[in-house]
Amino acid sequence: MKMYKYIVGLLALICMSAVIWTVPVDAEDYPDFSLAWSEYPSWSTFGVAAELKWILPGKGDLGELEKKWKVDIVLKEADYDSCLVMYGANQCDAVCITNMDVLNPSLARQSVGILPTSTSFGADALIVSGAISDIKQLRGKKVYGLAKTVSEYCFARNLELLGEKEKDFFFTNMDPAAAAMAMQQKRDGYDAIVVWNPFVLETVNKRSDARILFDSTTIPGEIIDMVVVAQASLDKPGGDAFAHAVIDAYYAINRRMDNPETRDDTLIGLGEKFSNLNLESMRKVVKQTRFYATPDEGIAILSGGKTEDIMKTVGGFCLTHEIVPEAPRIAFGSKADHPNAHFRLDSTYIRNFVNAAK
Amino acid sequence: MPMEREIVLDVRGVHHWFGPTLVLYDVNLRIIRGEIVALVGPSGCGKSTLLRAIIGTHPPEKGEIVMIERDRSHSVVRSPGRDRGIVYQNYSLFPFLTARENVAMGLMLDQTSIPYRMFRYGRWRRMRREHLREAGDLLDRLMLGHAADQYPSEMSGGMRQRVAIAQTMIMKPRLMMLDEPFGALDEATREDLQRMLLTLYQENCRARQEGQCPPYTIMIVTHELNEAIYVGDRVVGLSQYWDWRKEGLERSPGATIVYDRVAPVYFPDQERNFETFIEKRRVIREAAFDAQHLQDRNEYLQFWSQLDHGLGEGILA
Amino acid sequence: MLKQTISRRNGLLLGLLSVILLLALYSTLSWRQHRKNPEDTTIPGWSQLATGVIKSVEPNSRSGERWILVDSRATAGRLFLGLFYGVAGAVLIGLLMGCFPVAEALLAPPMSLLAKVPPTAALAVFFVLVGTDTSMFVAMIAFGVLPTLAQSVYLAVRDVRQEMLFKAYTLGASSGELIWNVIIPIIMPRLIDAIRLQIGPAMVFLIAAEMVVGDVGFGYRIRLQSRLLNMSVVYPYLAVLAAFGFMMDFILRHIQKKCFAWYSKQR
Repeated sequence: MKMYKYIVGLLALICMSAVIWTVPVDAEDYPDFSLAWSEYPSWSTFGVAAELKWILPGKGDLGELEKKWKVDIVLKEADYDSCLVMYGANQCDAVCITNMDVLNPSLARQSVGILPTSTSFGADALIVSGAISDIKQLRGKKVYGLAKTVSEYCFARNLELLGEKEKDFFFTNMDPAAAAMAMQQKRDGYDAIVVWNPFVLETVNKRSDARILFDSTTIPGEIIDMVVVAQASLDKPGGDAFAHAVIDAYYAINRRMDNPETRDDTLIGLGEKFSNLNLESMRKVVKQTRFYATPDEGIAILSGGKTEDIMKTVGGFCLTHEIVPEAPRIAFGSKADHPNAHFRLDSTYIRNFVNAAK
Repeated sequence: MPMEREIVLDVRGVHHWFGPTLVLYDVNLRIIRGEIVALVGPSGCGKSTLLRAIIGTHPPEKGEIVMIERDRSHSVVRSPGRDRGIVYQNYSLFPFLTARENVAMGLMLDQTSIPYRMFRYGRWRRMRREHLREAGDLLDRLMLGHAADQYPSEMSGGMRQRVAIAQTMIMKPRLMMLDEPFGALDEATREDLQRMLLTLYQENCRARQEGQCPPYTIMIVTHELNEAIYVGDRVVGLSQYWDWRKEGLERSPGATIVYDRVAPVYFPDQERNFETFIEKRRVIREAAFDAQHLQDRNEYLQFWSQLDHGLGEGILA
Repeated sequence: MLKQTISRRNGLLLGLLSVILLLALYSTLSWRQHRKNPEDTTIPGWSQLATGVIKSVEPNSRSGERWILVDSRATAGRLFLGLFYGVAGAVLIGLLMGCFPVAEALLAPPMSLLAKVPPTAALAVFFVLVGTDTSMFVAMIAFGVLPTLAQSVYLAVRDVRQEMLFKAYTLGASSGELIWNVIIPIIMPRLIDAIRLQIGPAMVFLIAAEMVVGDVGFGYRIRLQSRLLNMSVVYPYLAVLAAFGFMMDFILRHIQKKCFAWYSKQR
């Protein structure tokens, strides 16, 4: 019967592709780990590290730092949303992410915050048209921004601080690039947007009557940008070395920014893909995205204290705004102390890196 | 007593160019009411050009084509009109209409307009019923009643051409033109359709005997000489092969009428005998199809003198 | 031998087999992913998908809305309105181009250029032209499908045989009647074919736009739920999209078969 032949052929084809798919084509000396990052001032440090050939993005390509730590780092650049999905789908070992967005994936994948890179200090802002001078004027009106992100968080927290109720305002979903565009075009009905940099700076630069009603300077340290690694990846051989190499790269770039000789060049490198802002604006961007530039600062953030309260606030927000289906267990300290934490902030890796450097 | 011959179409000194090239040179042709004129000629001689000129989609650049009405009023052809019907070899029928609707299409287009059909909808529906009935009757008469609700794509080539002829007939045009109508049909079907045309011719003759106007005037373009002689009561040859030097011209001016004579008349029930056509075919070939033998263009134009000598048959008697 | 026909039964069997294989492949993928990480939500298993479906069908705890209902209403409304304007404009422009050489010379070059431009890339233009409400989605779909559709209509009009037009004139048609009673009926079934092909792009344009702007609709929900890694909601949404596209195709084909029987009989 002819039919039989077709089915056999089809099955053979499927088996073949299954074999090709499952057989690993992997023969490396150093263990490899991948880091997904998107363009953002403190995360673009990894892009600059690649430009300086400290870390070569490709698999099997080894840069100076990779040789130093005997680990192969694969850099995956993608836009922020894709990074979240990539991390959630186990397609990378580590990701550059905010302390808010990490909570949801951590429910399915135990995660460890090893390196805080920066905090938003004005990088997220509510921009209003000239007609608006008081938050009360926005009651009952639409405020545009990307829903269920730090934008909404920044907005809600500021309302809280001002004694306003969230339900009096209509936070309406819109991509920040699109919202900034609508604001710059002076479209009717777009009197208030909540966006992040570079859109904050661009909008204020390009629309003369636009101004910032409030921004994240009122909630310093609450929105934390960080590098998060999956617990399972840290447990693999070479996991510690990977963490140390990433930390090493980050602080080394920060030292270049401190050094007057390399400062501007590094800033330009950071800003290159981030937006078409000039050097002057980039200086401002770096101010609004306050870098945790030294190991001491990093250790302070990861050691709890004030950060513990912040994580409670953020976790509560995520729960009430349906960003997470259940409250994740958040802990500070080592795995040994908190083996069941969904998301753990752990300063051990920075400490060990500092000790190793001594 | 011979009835006065009513002229339907008068082609007067028509010239036509394609760019700098002359295709038609001084074409003159008058068609009598009730005739079936068969137009023959070598391929590419300009038969289609002449036909388009008469239809009015491509009026001649020099000379004129005149339609003569019953009341002898003349009108120069400049655009297509409902007084001249056409049946093409293909694409005469609208593919989205059934046979009946195709036949009724002309009545609709001729008698109503878009606003009329929209704003006097009730009246239009009544009218439409009448149109469809009339179309159905005509199809019945042409033995097509069974196919009235079929789409062209469901019909055989022969049926399609019958419907196309019916579609033209229902308009009662002053002149019906058939452009190679049976070219794509098999022999047996073609003979059926030729007989159908002869039936129409028979109706013409009967009407004339009863002192009425013959209803159908037909010009059929064909490349089949047998068909031309069998169906036509007159054969007209259009050809570029004629002695133009004699008229002081330096290069070939294109086709003109080089043959125009009466042809034997057959009725549908008569057996035809192609052997009797042999001599006529030879003469037509010599006049119109022979590139070597260039003769004076008037040498074979005897139609009108033949009529004067009483040589015409059928409607021309 | 190539193109050898197989029986209808075997054809159906093979079709069924391919669907089963696809589902099996997904199950395997999900199983592999869950073996790696039992908590995975990116390639949800069947039971996870079921909870996702329930989540999108049940009234939401905060807003009280049934997601799938509000999103379908918004997206379908935008899609149909956009397609309506796109098709209407395309028929008008296509007819003009096919019937009048002046319009052809004037419109053919911009149409063939615009047909290559994805409207989603020109978001700013739409903002300025029509704002950001429903009208923006509608305009984006309409402008997205219009050039290609107009070209299809134009080609269909050009394919109408000259003989048929001459014929209609000899039957006493006016130019208006020629368009209304001859050209439009002839091109209708081909227009339906062209619309069927444009539903896919129209949906792509709409979803892409909804991902950027808007607080309701399929694109919005899919982007948001992807970011929250709720793929158990996202995949059922995709399945609904696929089913919707399939249904539209089916309906249009049905209309073509019923209303333009002559066309299907011709082939």
